[in-house]
Amino acid sequence: MWSCSYPWETVIKAAMRKYPNPMNPSVVGVDVLDRNLDPEGRLHSHRLLSTEWGLPGIVRAIMGTSHTRTYVKEHSIVDPEEKTMELCSTNITLTNLVSVDERLVYRPHPDNPDVTVLTQEAIITVKGVSLSSYLEGMMALRMSANARKVFLYLVGSL
Amino acid sequence: MNSVGEGCTDLKREYDQCFNRWFAEKFLKGDRSGDPCTEMFKKYQHCVQKAIKEKDIPIDGVEFMGPNKDKP
Repeated sequence: MWSCSYPWETVIKAAMRKYPNPMNPSVVGVDVLDRNLDPEGRLHSHRLLSTEWGLPGIVRAIMGTSHTRTYVKEHSIVDPEEKTMELCSTNITLTNLVSVDERLVYRPHPDNPDVTVLTQEAIITVKGVSLSSYLEGMMALRMSANARKVFLYLVGSL
Repeated sequence: MNSVGEGCTDLKREYDQCFNRWFAEKFLKGDRSGDPCTEMFKKYQHCVQKAIKEKDIPIDGVEFMGPNKDKP
């Protein structure tokens, strides 16, 4: 969980435009697949993120793929009344090897409306690999450090 | 930032500019007046749908509006 001294509206305007950013150089494409308002007035967006990992040749050989382009689907919900923005993402390629489900929530600090709090949760499942718990731990650490860097980058760009 | 379909990037950028403006100046300020970006979105989507099919990207399960459905 992290916080920054900017009001929620300012942070989520930046978050909505978070790619490209130097903290996630692997994200090379973003497309909106669907966007609509629900009956409660919340904005739903479904986006497709294209990522390019630049994996070394030996890793690609082990994975049995020459494709280094992977895709993630992201569903975000912005509630302008409650002042929450929730983003849920999951990979839709390499699903036979790994599942990474991430949830980010931006909301104002309960005691100070000029501060925004970001909460991140991730569930990582590595399939069919004996070092799974080690790899999961490494990925979780990396994602957490990366989310913090992205958050600080967004704040720095405000 | 580019689109998944190389030929769709210009349409995407036009739509993004429209959306970002509406999002910041209307939606977040509680203005519920109509979305001015609908037509732009349809053109952009038409291009993206084609690119997704061509590249065989597995987006099954993602609710996909497409140009034929009406926005609320």
